[in-house]
Amino acid sequence: MSLIADRPGPGLARPYRFPQVVRRSVAGGQVVAAHLPGQNLAVALLLLDAGAGREPAGREGLGAVLAKALEEGTAQRDATAYALAVEGLGTELVTGLDWDSFQVSVQVPVDRLPAAVELLAEAVRTPRLDPDDVRRVRDDEATALRMDWANPGPRADAALRADLFGAENRWGRPMYGDPDSVAGLDPEDITVFHSEWFLRPGTLIVVGDLERLDLDALGAAAFAGTGGGPVSPGGPIDVSLRAGRRIILVDRPGSVQSTLRLGHPSPHRAHPDHVPSLLAGTVLGGAFTSRLNHLIREVRGYTYGIRGEFASSRRFGRFAVSSGVQTAVTAPALVEAVGEISRTQVGGVTEDELAVARSWRAGQLSVELQSPRAIASALTTLVVHDLPDDYHARLRESLLAADVEEVSAAAAGHLHPESLTLVVEGDAALIRDDLAATNLGEIVDAVG
Amino acid sequence: MPDSGYPWPIETTRLDNGLRVVVSEDRAAPAVAVNLWYDVGSRHEPDGQTGFAHLFEHLMFEGSVNVAKTEHMKLVQGAGGSLNATTNPDRTNYFETVPAEHLELALWLEADRMGGLVPALTQETLDNQRDVVKNERRQRYENVPYGDAWLRLLPLLYPPGHPYHHATIGSMADLNAAALTTFQDFHRTYYAPNNAVLTVVGDATASEVFALADKYFGALPARESIPAAPDGRHVPGGGGPVAETVTAAVPAPRVFVAHRTHAFGTPGYDVLTVLATVLGSGRGSRLYQRLADGERIAQPDLVGSYGVDLAHAPAPLIATATARPGVSGERLAAGVTEVVDELATVPVTAVELDRAKALLSTGWWRQMSTVDGRADTLGRYATQFGDPAVAAERLPAWLAVTADQIAELAAEMLRPENRVTLTYLPEESA
Repeated sequence: MSLIADRPGPGLARPYRFPQVVRRSVAGGQVVAAHLPGQNLAVALLLLDAGAGREPAGREGLGAVLAKALEEGTAQRDATAYALAVEGLGTELVTGLDWDSFQVSVQVPVDRLPAAVELLAEAVRTPRLDPDDVRRVRDDEATALRMDWANPGPRADAALRADLFGAENRWGRPMYGDPDSVAGLDPEDITVFHSEWFLRPGTLIVVGDLERLDLDALGAAAFAGTGGGPVSPGGPIDVSLRAGRRIILVDRPGSVQSTLRLGHPSPHRAHPDHVPSLLAGTVLGGAFTSRLNHLIREVRGYTYGIRGEFASSRRFGRFAVSSGVQTAVTAPALVEAVGEISRTQVGGVTEDELAVARSWRAGQLSVELQSPRAIASALTTLVVHDLPDDYHARLRESLLAADVEEVSAAAAGHLHPESLTLVVEGDAALIRDDLAATNLGEIVDAVG
Repeated sequence: MPDSGYPWPIETTRLDNGLRVVVSEDRAAPAVAVNLWYDVGSRHEPDGQTGFAHLFEHLMFEGSVNVAKTEHMKLVQGAGGSLNATTNPDRTNYFETVPAEHLELALWLEADRMGGLVPALTQETLDNQRDVVKNERRQRYENVPYGDAWLRLLPLLYPPGHPYHHATIGSMADLNAAALTTFQDFHRTYYAPNNAVLTVVGDATASEVFALADKYFGALPARESIPAAPDGRHVPGGGGPVAETVTAAVPAPRVFVAHRTHAFGTPGYDVLTVLATVLGSGRGSRLYQRLADGERIAQPDLVGSYGVDLAHAPAPLIATATARPGVSGERLAAGVTEVVDELATVPVTAVELDRAKALLSTGWWRQMSTVDGRADTLGRYATQFGDPAVAAERLPAWLAVTADQIAELAAEMLRPENRVTLTYLPEESA
C-alpha cells in the first residue's frame, strides 16, 4: 500500500464573494438583481407578500390553490395556450409558498428572460380564475393533499404544529392547509385573496448576466397594472412554552417505521441570537456529523437519518427534530434523542464540534450559492428580512467569529427539552406500551 | 443550435496505474467539485448478493487507513464542503464540493478510501451500516405508498440473470446474509484506480490537479483483471405484454407503463429522451393534455414520463399516472396506453417538438450551472463512453431529433409485446 499518511492542510484561502447586488425602483415596484457574468441561464422570481401567514385561519391552502389556478388561463389565452407559450421558452412556472412570501419564477436561457417575465406577469396579474376552473383546481389540490397525507409525515407535522402554536391560529395549522381546509374553499375566497395580495407590485428578483438584461424593462413588465403599497407583516408573535413534555401518538397501522417529530417554539428570524442558535442547532442536529445523527444513525443504526434545527420566519420560529426509525426501536430512539437535546442544553457545545459547524455553515455560502436559482433564493432572504446587500459576507464573518460561550448560551437559552412535544406517527398497537414505559410524558392520541 | 453543450475547457490524463483524471477549470466561484465514478454498480452483483454495491458505498464513509471512523464526513463538512455518494445499476459515484483551498484534502480522502479501506473495515461497522441501509429501505421503499414500484418493475422488464433484473437497494435477506469477507473482496476487486475516473471542476488548474492526483493516487496499484458484469445488451423478451396488479395501502389507483428502449448514450436514446419529454414533461405534454386536462382521469401533479438513463442495456421509458377520484385503474391504464400508442400514429407537431427541445435545453444548462453538476457529467461520459468531451454532443444531438425519428422509435419499440404495465389498486376497492 502506498498511501500518504499526512493529512494536507488548506491551501491559500480565496476571498469570499457574493455576486454584485443591484437594486432598482421601477414602475412602483422594486427590482433586486445579482450579476453572474457569462452565465447562460437566467432566473426571474416575483416575490409577493402573500405567504401562508396572510391567509385567514380556516382558509388555509388558499395560496396553494391560487398558485395552481394561475395557470388555468389568463385574460389573453386559455390554459393550453399558456402552457405551450411558457414551456416553448423552455421553462415552467414554478410557484412557491412559505409563511412570509409567495414566489413565482421562471428559469430560461438569458435571451428568453424578457418573454418569460411577460408570461409570468400575465399569469400573476391577469389570471382568468373562472369559478368552474377554480373549483376543479381546488378539488385536485384537495386530492393531491390526500395523496400526500397517505405518506408518513404530514399528519405528524400537523399534530406538532397545532400543539406548538394552537390550531385556532393560522400559524398553528399546516402551511399548505390540509385536505379538508382546501376542500372547503370557495372560488370567491381565491379571487378575493388574489385581488388583495397579487395586484401589489412586490419585488422582482433577477439573477443572470446583467449585461445582457434590461432591468427596467423587466420591472416594467412585472409591475404593469399593479397598485397599492406594502402592508405591515405584524410583529413577532408571543408563543408560550408548554409546562411539561407530552407524547402525541398518531396511529398508522402497518408502519414498518415510526416517524418522529419533536419540537418546541423558538425565536423569530430577526432575534439577535439567530447566528449562535443556528450553530447550536447545527451541532445538535443540523448536519450529517451532528450529535443526533451520530448517535441515532451511526452508533445505534436505528434510522437512515435524523435531523434537527431551529427554523424561523418573520413572526415566529421553532426548534424541531425529525426522523423515521424502525418500529421496534421507537422508544429507545425517542429516549436517546431527548437525552441528546437535554445534554446539549445543559452542557453546551465543544470547540471541536463548533469548529466543524461554523466552517461548514460558512463554506456552504461558497459551495451552495452557485446556480442562478440558489442565488435568487439568497436574494429573497435579503428582501423578506430586510437585509443589506453585503448580508452574506457579514453572515460569513459572524459565523466564523462565533465562540463556544455564545453558542452554548444560545443552546442553554433556546433549547427546552422539558417543554418538548414528542409526536410519534407509527403502528400504535405495537409501540404504545413501550412509549408509556419511557416516562417521557403523558401520551395523547392525535385527533383524526 | 449551439455547437457545444460544454463550452468550458476539458483536460485529461491517465496515471500509470490507469486512473483517468479529468479537469475542467472555471474560476467563476471559489469552489471546486471532486467526483469519482467507479465502474461498478448493482449490475455486477451475483445472485444472493443484491444490495451489496450500495451497502458498500456506505462503508466508504466509515474510515480507512489514515482516516478514523466518522472522520471523513467531519473533515469535509469541517472544510465547508458538501458531500454524498450514490449507487445505481451502472455505477457508484462519490463526490464533494469544497471551498477551493481544500482541494488537496478532498483528494487525500478519496485516495485513502480507494487504496486503504480494507484494513479499516470492521464487523461492527458493517453491522451498523447494514442496519442503516435496512432503515433506508424501509423509509424509501416499504413505508410509503407506491414506494416499491421500481422494485417491481425491474424484474418484469428484465429476466432473471439480467444485470438489471434486481434493484440496487437489494433484498433484506441478502443484506442480512452479508459477510465481512465479501465486502473486503468487493473492494479489492472493483475499487482499483484503473476502474475509476477522477473529475475535478472549478477553481483549480489542470496541471495542479494532475500533480496532486499523481501525488495521492499515483502509487496505488492497478488491478490486472476486473471482472465484467454480465452482458445485458440483448434482452430476450418481446413475448407479449406483461401486466401486474398490486393491491396495497395506497390512496388511489396508479399505473406505470414501461417499455425497454435503447441504452443511454446511443442515438436511439437521444430520440427517446425527446420523445419522453413530448409525452410526459410539463403541462403541454401529451399525457397532461389528454389525461389530466382533456379526459380528466389523471391527477394533474402526478402524470408524466421519463427515460431512466442506464447505459449497459436497453433502458426503460416509464409513463405514469394516478387516477382522479372515481376513475378505475383499468380505465387509467387504458388511457395511458392509448397516449403512448399514438406516438407511432399521430405525428409530433413542430410546436410539440420545439417545446420539448426548449425544456431539455434549460434542463441541460441547469445541470451545467454548478461545478458539481458539470463534474458528474464529465465523470459519466469518461466512464461510460471513454471520453468526457463527448458530453458536449448530447444537447446538440437532442436538438437534431426529428418528428419522424420519434414516430419510428415509437413504432419499433413501444409495441405491446415490449410493454410492462404495473397497476396499484387501493385495498378497499379490490
